[in-house]
Amino acid sequence: MIQRFLDPAVLAGISSLDLVAKTVVDGFISGLHESPDFGFSQEFAEYRQYMPGDDLRHVDWNVFARSDKMFLKRFKGETNTLVTVLIDASRSMKYGSRGIEKLEYARFLAASVVYLAHLQRDATGLIVFDEEVRNFVQPSSRQGQMMRLMHAIDQAEAGDQKRTDFVRPFSHLADFLRKRGLVIAISDFWDDPETVIRAVSPLRARGSELVLFHVLDPEELQPKIKGSVLFEDLESGHKMQVSADYAGREYKEKMTAHLEAIKKKAEGSGIEYFLCDTSKPLDESLRRYLAIRTGRL
Amino acid sequence: MGLFAPWFLAGALAVGLPVWLHLLKRSNQDPKLFPSLMFFEHRETSSVQHRKLDFITLFILRTLMLLLLALLFAQPFIRRSTPAQRGERLTVVAVDRSFSMRTTEGGTSRLDLAKTEAAKVLSGIPGGTKGQVVALSGVLEAMTQQVADPNELRAAVTAIKEGDSRADFGVLARYLRTLREQADIPLEVHVISDMQKSAMPPGFTDLRLDNGTKLVLHPIGKAQPNWSVEGVNAPQRIYDTKTVHVAATIAGFNAPASTRNVTLMLNGKVVGSKQVQVAENGRGSVEFIGLEASYGFNKCEIRIDASDTLAADDHFAFAVERTDPKRVLFIDDGLHSKSQRFFTAALTSDPDSEFAVESLRPEVAANADYSKYAVVVLSEPANLPSNLINALQKYVERGGGLFEALGVGSAVLNKAPVIDLPIQGTKLAASSGNRFWTVGDVDQNHAVLKNVERFEGVKFYQAVTLGAGEGQVLARLSDGTPLVVERRVGEGFVMAYAASLDDRQNDFSNKPIYVPFVQETVKYLGGGGVSQPVNLGVDSYVELRAGTQQQGVSAEVLDPDGQRVLSIEQAASAPNFVLSREGFFDVKNAAGRRTLVAAHADRRESDLTVMDKETQEIWAATGSEVEAAQGPVESGLNAASTPWSLAPYILVLLLIVALAESVFANRYLRSSIRPEETMTKV
Repeated sequence: MIQRFLDPAVLAGISSLDLVAKTVVDGFISGLHESPDFGFSQEFAEYRQYMPGDDLRHVDWNVFARSDKMFLKRFKGETNTLVTVLIDASRSMKYGSRGIEKLEYARFLAASVVYLAHLQRDATGLIVFDEEVRNFVQPSSRQGQMMRLMHAIDQAEAGDQKRTDFVRPFSHLADFLRKRGLVIAISDFWDDPETVIRAVSPLRARGSELVLFHVLDPEELQPKIKGSVLFEDLESGHKMQVSADYAGREYKEKMTAHLEAIKKKAEGSGIEYFLCDTSKPLDESLRRYLAIRTGRL
Repeated sequence: MGLFAPWFLAGALAVGLPVWLHLLKRSNQDPKLFPSLMFFEHRETSSVQHRKLDFITLFILRTLMLLLLALLFAQPFIRRSTPAQRGERLTVVAVDRSFSMRTTEGGTSRLDLAKTEAAKVLSGIPGGTKGQVVALSGVLEAMTQQVADPNELRAAVTAIKEGDSRADFGVLARYLRTLREQADIPLEVHVISDMQKSAMPPGFTDLRLDNGTKLVLHPIGKAQPNWSVEGVNAPQRIYDTKTVHVAATIAGFNAPASTRNVTLMLNGKVVGSKQVQVAENGRGSVEFIGLEASYGFNKCEIRIDASDTLAADDHFAFAVERTDPKRVLFIDDGLHSKSQRFFTAALTSDPDSEFAVESLRPEVAANADYSKYAVVVLSEPANLPSNLINALQKYVERGGGLFEALGVGSAVLNKAPVIDLPIQGTKLAASSGNRFWTVGDVDQNHAVLKNVERFEGVKFYQAVTLGAGEGQVLARLSDGTPLVVERRVGEGFVMAYAASLDDRQNDFSNKPIYVPFVQETVKYLGGGGVSQPVNLGVDSYVELRAGTQQQGVSAEVLDPDGQRVLSIEQAASAPNFVLSREGFFDVKNAAGRRTLVAAHADRRESDLTVMDKETQEIWAATGSEVEAAQGPVESGLNAASTPWSLAPYILVLLLIVALAESVFANRYLRSSIRPEETMTKV
């Protein structure tokens, strides 16, 4: 049942983005009951014996009163993090073969991450970009920030402008990220892996954690065509006749190599990488986010 | 190559469909949006070739399929020379070995002359030509396969032996027609026979030969005067040796009026001799009274001193069995004594009756020795001891005959004993609005009922309602109720009569036809159903076992020379065997009953009248007449060769192409579907 609510095709039927985020995250959290490794906000994590230098504010004085021993009471996610979500709103993100476009999936994912971060009381910001930065919401944990973010995410639409250069928008994004934190980039990364990693690397410059959510449609991963089909590039408008044999064999090999290359180069650069198939539920993506977020304890 | 229906080739235009589908349609496509073409290479050759050659195999197969289909409708053929044009021919030598071929011509039998003639024919066959030797009698016996070895053919002719069967040219003609159809090769048939007129089939059309059959007749011998013992009328069983009548018919064929000495022989000894006047081309009869036969089976024979050229028909074998009168056991509970009186009176009304009636009460009858009774009669059985029913069951299964008169008293039973038919109660004609019933339906072909004149005038007032079950209904009342039902149980027969034997419930016993009904019923059942004739013609069948119930029980047949006729397998399973020659056959059937069967040749063979010349010529012309009639129609190329249709080969090719197309198309579909399947699994 939970899985069903996390299904992108089901979420596409919900008009309110914050409701989508709540549905996803609440359903996701319900599914985490058997996973003690993950927790939120002020949730109790462990007792640890006091060591000199530890903050006395964390000492559990009730335990001290009963046992004359000093223990620190630790909570998960008690450190506030600056989370910035980057959404690629280029024209290629408008593609969708299964009833949900990549941009829509990216919006759901971004909204879910924002909602999750809000639950953890993290300061969250948003950048929507294509060739340029289209929208920017300063990271904050103030009251009403979530609604602002939701509104901004909801407004993110793919522009008509055709993008041919992937490096250009990312070169500007570093200017917006002044503080250290967690940067989540959601894009289809349609470019050479070397170029992609080189373009996103500046986002880590100030010691930020960078997570790449590579959003792809199943058709992009494995086009299913019969006979010969004339394809038109969404961004460049270029047309090409493609055969089923080519798509089934050579394209698949190239795509696999491309994904492997991005993943390898991302890992090599200390960047977290996760491939999001728009036909799959969001929970895997959220799980990955939480794993990274928990690692920041 | 010729085309009968070239217009069907217009169907080849359908090839345009795959061309359109594979080539033209593909070029008019709406572009499909895709996020990025960075992994697609713009290869001109690939694109164009894919468009033209991507499914080239499929395209070729589909095109080929349509072309073949069009070609199939066009009915293409090529002309081939026929075996006749290549000079091929199958020579069939048919040698008559019927009974009449025993006739001597100048001291040599006709069969020997025929074999000599056959050898001459075989020596005239060109080397390498295939031939076959067949022996003609009642059936056609292939002495060889179709072989080109003259030595084998000659050996086969030498191996032909005299037979006692009757020749039938219709059988030969049917075989030749079949051979012509199967072999598809011209036949040259040499019939070496005495060309008896009696060997002709009933209709001349049965002699018809197919086109391409050349018939050459080799008549052997000529019409000769011949006297023959045409038939003997003697009882199968005799009870009183002094009153036995044996009548013999002596026939003369193409013979002048003459006096013949007729001798009656019993077990090899002459027991009587008389003279008979035989008219010119006529017959004479002689009768012997009294035959001092010993108990059991006796071999009898009528001989004449014919001194003609066919000595084999101057004697006629027949078998008689001497036995005591048969006993009929009448089981009656004594409540209806008139039934026994009526029945006994009817049965013994003939002074020569072979039956004597004994009466027993049911409780005593249970322990009786049933082997000495030919027939058992159950009169209105009601409360029968179970051991009596068991005894009767065994008695019938072993070949006994049981007659059950199911009067109203039998209505207490649920079913009739032994015959196992349900008894549903009794009914009264008066209560159904009729004063009486008559008999509505009678099987007049049955031995018992053929002399009862459809029960004319008999009124039935009350009857038992009998279910037919698995029995055979021989007569029904006017309301459809079974009146007489017969059923075979094991080796024997049971007959149920759904009324009383006296005049309480019907007036049948007061009618004259009551007597033949009782007598024929007892005779019929006393012989174990239809009595097996003991005097039969050659090629007749003798029954060895009834149905499959006696499978595995051994039967035995000894031929006139005392040799076993049946193989072990035949003895255990053969339902009958054929009398292949004249003489006395000692037969023990599967039920263990021994019989002496006398077999005699068909006396139509004694008439040595030859088929007239004109008939022979017409017969010989039937094969070539058709050929001659078709000759002028065919001309030019048609006359030189025959069309050989390619349609079957094209059809096979079409099927193969269709299968290949299915396989390729399926592969294509699978390769297209595979990505989707992968996604679904994920």
